[in-house]
Amino acid sequence: MNLEDELRAALRREDPSSGFAQRVVARTKVTPRSNRPIFRMAWAAAIAAMVIVGLAGVYQYRQVQAERAGRDAVIALRIAADKLNIARDKVSRREN
Amino acid sequence: MRRILWAVLIAAGTIAQLPAQLRITGLDGLASKAKESVDITLDPAMLQMAGAFLAGGGKDGSDVKSLIAGLKAITVKSYKFTETSQYRMEDLEPIRAQLRTPGWSKVLSSQSKGEISEIYMRIDQGKVAGFAIIAAEPKELTVVAIEGAINLQDLSKLGGLGVPAIPVPGQSKDQPKDSGKKGKQQ
Repeated sequence: MNLEDELRAALRREDPSSGFAQRVVARTKVTPRSNRPIFRMAWAAAIAAMVIVGLAGVYQYRQVQAERAGRDAVIALRIAADKLNIARDKVSRREN
Repeated sequence: MRRILWAVLIAAGTIAQLPAQLRITGLDGLASKAKESVDITLDPAMLQMAGAFLAGGGKDGSDVKSLIAGLKAITVKSYKFTETSQYRMEDLEPIRAQLRTPGWSKVLSSQSKGEISEIYMRIDQGKVAGFAIIAAEPKELTVVAIEGAINLQDLSKLGGLGVPAIPVPGQSKDQPKDSGKKGKQQ
């Protein structure tokens, strides 16, 4: 048998066995890929990472706000103290 | 139903009797004319955050923390100008009008050559519940409003001068005088 005959035999049209279409349809209904454990774990890890990054961002933002508020409080109270003392000093000098 | 109505009326009456928080208004245009300006407003939430931040800030931090512990709000507006006549005394009228309302009293006033220093207090049950300073100089204007319980002796120690204490109505006169502690300046 020459090569041409072998190829013709190998590639000849054949009817599928009975129930082939049903089996193909059944295979397409197999559990979706995204529901496989590895995908679920990847999703969970991604969500956890996003939550951690979000919480870290919120913490950092609050830290920056607290630092700014602390600095502002110090400046505000020192200005108030200076003006209070200057006013008292003026009155004290006027009385003396 | 009648009880609820009475409760609402009593609550409304109580709220109406409380002096409103001092609002520093009428100075908004001055920042653009000033060479230096400070505009700080701290509400209770920010004061709480500031207190938490200052808790680990050494003695200076703890001094400020203890001062702000009883405060509800701090507002400071301060402007330094290169030239005189950059603001008018009338600009202060909206603030002074609020300070003339019942509850507030002027405890100290000094006027000389275009300089005005006024200190106002609101006393509630013998304690300082509000405090305001107007300090107007030819090239500088500062207005401070503090809401809440503040110890003026402790506040004074944060500044750079040691001077006699203001007698606070309802407080004993034998309080220790200022030690003149010098604080770090910003």
